[in-house]
Amino acid sequence: MHINYWQETKNDFFGKLGLILITLIVVLAILAPLLTSYQPQAYTDTAFSPPSWQHLLGTNDVGQDIWTRLLYGARTSLIVGCGAAVLSILISVLAGCTAALFGGLYDRLMMRLVDAMIVIPPVIVVILVAAYLRPNTLLMIVLIAVFLWPGGARVIRAQTLSLKERMHVAAARTFGAGWLHLLVHHIIPDLGPVIVATMIRDARRAIFMEAGLSFLGISDPSVISWGKMMQHALRFSYLNVWKWWLLPPGFALSLLICAFTFLGFSLEKILNPRLRKGVSHAGD
Amino acid sequence: MKKAGSAVSYLIAFILILMISFLLPRLMPGNPLMAIYGEEALIAMTPELQAELTQRFSLDDPLGTQFVSYLKALLHGDMGYSYFHNAPVFDVIIASLPWTLLLVGLAVLISSFLGIILGIESGYRRGETTDKVLLTGLISLSGFPDFFIGILLLLFFGAALGIAPLAGAVTPYAGKTGLALLIDVLHHLTLPLLALVLVRITGTYLLTRNTMVTTLGEAFILTAKAKGCREREIRYRHAGRNSLLPVVTAAGLQLAGSITGALFIEIVFSYPGVGSLLYNSLLARDYPLMQGILLMTTVVILLANYMIDLLYTRLDPRITYSR
Repeated sequence: MHINYWQETKNDFFGKLGLILITLIVVLAILAPLLTSYQPQAYTDTAFSPPSWQHLLGTNDVGQDIWTRLLYGARTSLIVGCGAAVLSILISVLAGCTAALFGGLYDRLMMRLVDAMIVIPPVIVVILVAAYLRPNTLLMIVLIAVFLWPGGARVIRAQTLSLKERMHVAAARTFGAGWLHLLVHHIIPDLGPVIVATMIRDARRAIFMEAGLSFLGISDPSVISWGKMMQHALRFSYLNVWKWWLLPPGFALSLLICAFTFLGFSLEKILNPRLRKGVSHAGD
Repeated sequence: MKKAGSAVSYLIAFILILMISFLLPRLMPGNPLMAIYGEEALIAMTPELQAELTQRFSLDDPLGTQFVSYLKALLHGDMGYSYFHNAPVFDVIIASLPWTLLLVGLAVLISSFLGIILGIESGYRRGETTDKVLLTGLISLSGFPDFFIGILLLLFFGAALGIAPLAGAVTPYAGKTGLALLIDVLHHLTLPLLALVLVRITGTYLLTRNTMVTTLGEAFILTAKAKGCREREIRYRHAGRNSLLPVVTAAGLQLAGSITGALFIEIVFSYPGVGSLLYNSLLARDYPLMQGILLMTTVVILLANYMIDLLYTRLDPRITYSR
């Protein structure tokens, strides 16, 4: 009955691969100042220099070291991804759990809002808002989370509805536990796997959206981001520089999103027993 | 009951989007006319024109009155005037819409078809090498952002090999007609289309594969096998057909992704559709055009999703969505 999710994820090929890749990128992002001797904003004397021992990935049109910007760009992607995932799951849990626990008119109104928000295409609306606000990292996180939470809220509400009928929750109720106590001590701990799966999905989408917005050039110009590096480099694609300027941020971004995809895929398999091996079915 | 409920959701979504696109420019600090039309356009305007526009948007009135006149203008198809293109926003968008529709339409058809076939074959061979290779390959592919897939294709086929055009939808000033024109259009379309198909295919593939795996575990498959049906028949008639249903919903859910994907891919290939138009309006800070594009795209997505919702209830009478 009880599944050891951590063990299952570590044993799964995709899960392991995802965890390793994410750890690698996080370590690189944290150790960025140790791995390079340049500042990401600093200008060196040579522009468009090809890769060398001094500049591992060469320099861009204004002479900034590309390897340094690649490392610091990882920070932006990770911060936006994790920040948006955390903020969005907080809203999802709050909305989903309270809707399931309180029920009645509040539940109906909340779910009506969720249904309406879910059909709104998030990327397009975020582009619209970002074009006016030119968001910095914090505002970007808030903006993305505002349009990501409804999906999670629906899943968490459904899960809470089934959890609240369980024996131990009913027992706590008979002892007079309030809704906050029920939520924190009995429901949220059991929501763990669903919450993690939702967060991974949200983080993936947030990283994707951040890259897209910076690729369109509508984020804060002072933030170093892979999407913006690509937008910038694409303008010089007629030169040979794309090999070390355009491709590295693209592949770094793809690798990070892949890592989250692998992890999410492996978790989905673990959470949905019908997709698991070991369950007998015809054809095997 | 269901239809009413679902329609209300779409209506609320539509009103939310209208409110966002109405309120944003008006709540920005400074002259609202500047936020609506952009700084450059405002400088170019004469004071008389500014006064006339203020009057037209009722910018001196309370927000409620402004909203009413905003809605009235929209109802007449008036989405504002693009100073950059020197034409009404609506006309500018309509002119580039066919290219985007062509791209998205073909990509949805091709990627759904390929995704279903690959999903059925892969799900049927679960655990075998073919399945593992397909699964790993396609999941990795889905990690690549749409614009980066476009960039890779552009650099490889366009710049390195030189066998595909680098930009545009037709060869300019070539004066081609008939079959030559069609070939020219397809030649320009190939790379953007390939990029969008690659972006979209994983969603359909994964969903079909998952449903295939669960369907294969059901009793009627065993019955079919016991009857001595041929493998191909079981794969496509029995299991495959039953795996189709979720794919229809997924097509709806992924439509928003396909359209935004198309916008980004068009930018990479300078394909003259709505995406390139959006990018140029962002660069030129042509706010009326940008707003018009985003509003229209959202409405198209909402309408399409609503129709797929209705279609879905027809396809599967078990679904009533009653809570």
